[in-house]
Amino acid sequence: MATAAVARPAAKPQPRARDEEVLVWPDLVFIEFIAAMVFTLALFLLSFLMNAPLLDQANADVTPNPSKAPWYLLNLQELLLHMNAALAGVIVPTIWLVIMGAFPYFDRDNDGQGVWFGTENSIKLSIIGGLVGIVGTWFLILWDSGKLAFFLNDWFGFSGGDTFRFLENVRSIQTQLPWPEWSREITYSPWNIVIIGEDFQNLDFPGWLVEQGIPTGVMVAFPSLLIFALWRAGMIFTRRDAVIVLFSGFVGAYLVLTVVGTAFRGQGQELVFPWQLKVSEGIPGQH
Amino acid sequence: MAVETPAKPSLADRLYDKMFHNYLWKSIFRTGYPNTPRNQMLIVATNVFLHLHPTRLHRTHVKVTHTYCLGGLSFFMFLGLTVTGILLMFYYVPSVERAYLDMQNIETTVQFGQLMRNMHRWMAHAMVILVFMHMMRVFYTGAYKPPREFNWVIGVILLVLTFLLSFTGYLLPWDQLAFWAITVGTNIAGAAPVLGPKSRFWLLGGFEVGPNALIRFYTLHVIGLPLLAAIFMAVHFWRIRRDGGLARPL
Ligand code: HEM
Repeated sequence: MATAAVARPAAKPQPRARDEEVLVWPDLVFIEFIAAMVFTLALFLLSFLMNAPLLDQANADVTPNPSKAPWYLLNLQELLLHMNAALAGVIVPTIWLVIMGAFPYFDRDNDGQGVWFGTENSIKLSIIGGLVGIVGTWFLILWDSGKLAFFLNDWFGFSGGDTFRFLENVRSIQTQLPWPEWSREITYSPWNIVIIGEDFQNLDFPGWLVEQGIPTGVMVAFPSLLIFALWRAGMIFTRRDAVIVLFSGFVGAYLVLTVVGTAFRGQGQELVFPWQLKVSEGIPGQH
Repeated sequence: MAVETPAKPSLADRLYDKMFHNYLWKSIFRTGYPNTPRNQMLIVATNVFLHLHPTRLHRTHVKVTHTYCLGGLSFFMFLGLTVTGILLMFYYVPSVERAYLDMQNIETTVQFGQLMRNMHRWMAHAMVILVFMHMMRVFYTGAYKPPREFNWVIGVILLVLTFLLSFTGYLLPWDQLAFWAITVGTNIAGAAPVLGPKSRFWLLGGFEVGPNALIRFYTLHVIGLPLLAAIFMAVHFWRIRRDGGLARPL
């Protein structure tokens, strides 16, 4: 029936198993109805108990401190504190969405399809990936906010002195190392290339390193190393296994970034405990 | 020999008959409650609201623990947001002069206005969470594998659309929370290399969050993005059917 013009489909729809089927009415419709009712009631209840926030009228002259994006973007706002704005706000999320969209084109084996954690090791790999994502992200945030150096000093009496000051956080690699003057302005192009107001000719290497080089390196190297290590340890066999680790790591990191951005960032985006978090409503004319 | 006379129908039966077998009722509902398998399949196939479903499905998929209804609930939130959103539209004018006052009026003078606003707000949060969890369930059940690759891609697009819907709605109350959250959010977008400042300007209709931004966000929020999301959802659901229902082991 198919004509020559029709490309071969990537995969045929799965054949039905008619003797295994049940009726949608009532079996499924009933469950959907219950789920919808439970959610309707719960949301009504929540709406009676808690009002949507409404602060003072918008005023461009009064900046609250901290100013925060909606909570589901606070992961990006958190990332923004640690690296170049374009990288954190646009490039990383875009690349991640593309990687995630490409999952099915990378992992095309039908093994373990259609059941929860259908392949061997998948639960273990999910837990490891998730935990490494959570712990690793917390570690990096603590390091870059200088808290790690603070704890080492405060709790263990260990202070690196001036020798290790450059390791206090990412930025101090730029500010505390004796970079030669030329490295702050490396000419890589004979002309000044201007693309819509941005020019490209000189490179401030230390600045580039802490804002783009190291963060990119960390985001690429950490997951790759984890997958490599688990492969060497004999836990990762298939592409599905690798994708599980990657996705679980993402969920863990995403969770931590969102929670930290929401509950642990106080005035001036300082890292504080949630119970110390205060919002100043802002003083007119002061940004 | 006594002749059996049929028993007189009880009052309840007669009432039932009057209510559900009259001309008007039958013009709306052509059949009664479907209590045979044949009629149950027919009603799913012929009812406009139910026909998104197949008439029968694999028995593993009706287990709540397979999907936790997360995709269905995401869709349900979308419907609920449409209903409460339309109700809010009756009272809300997207102008800098009126927006905030309208919000106050909705909360204080409009009957059930506060309730409508709360429902809309909490449902929006719920939808973001539910869509994310739905994605996790699809991932951990390996349901993106062939032939469902492209439906996963459509899902990723729906995830982005859900974020955008929520984000554009965030500005509309025109209070300090809204204003500064959108300022921060659009600054993030403005940081994009090369195209950033332009796209920020295009999104806000200016260099700062102001009247132009409000009307743009409003239009995107109430018609542009919902329309797009509805189209992608239609394709999402259609593909589920075309791919042979939900994923199950081969
Ligand atoms: C507005 C957002 C969305 C809506 C309303 C929605 C709705 C649904 C519904 C009702 C189902 C049927 C099964 C179920 O309930 O789990 C489904 C299945 C599916 N969804 Fe979504 N979805 C959305 C977003 C997503 C996202 C973000 C992804 C992934 C990135 C995704 C990927 C899929 C796939 C691959 C299936 C087939 C699952 C299977 O065969 O078991 N969807 N979706």
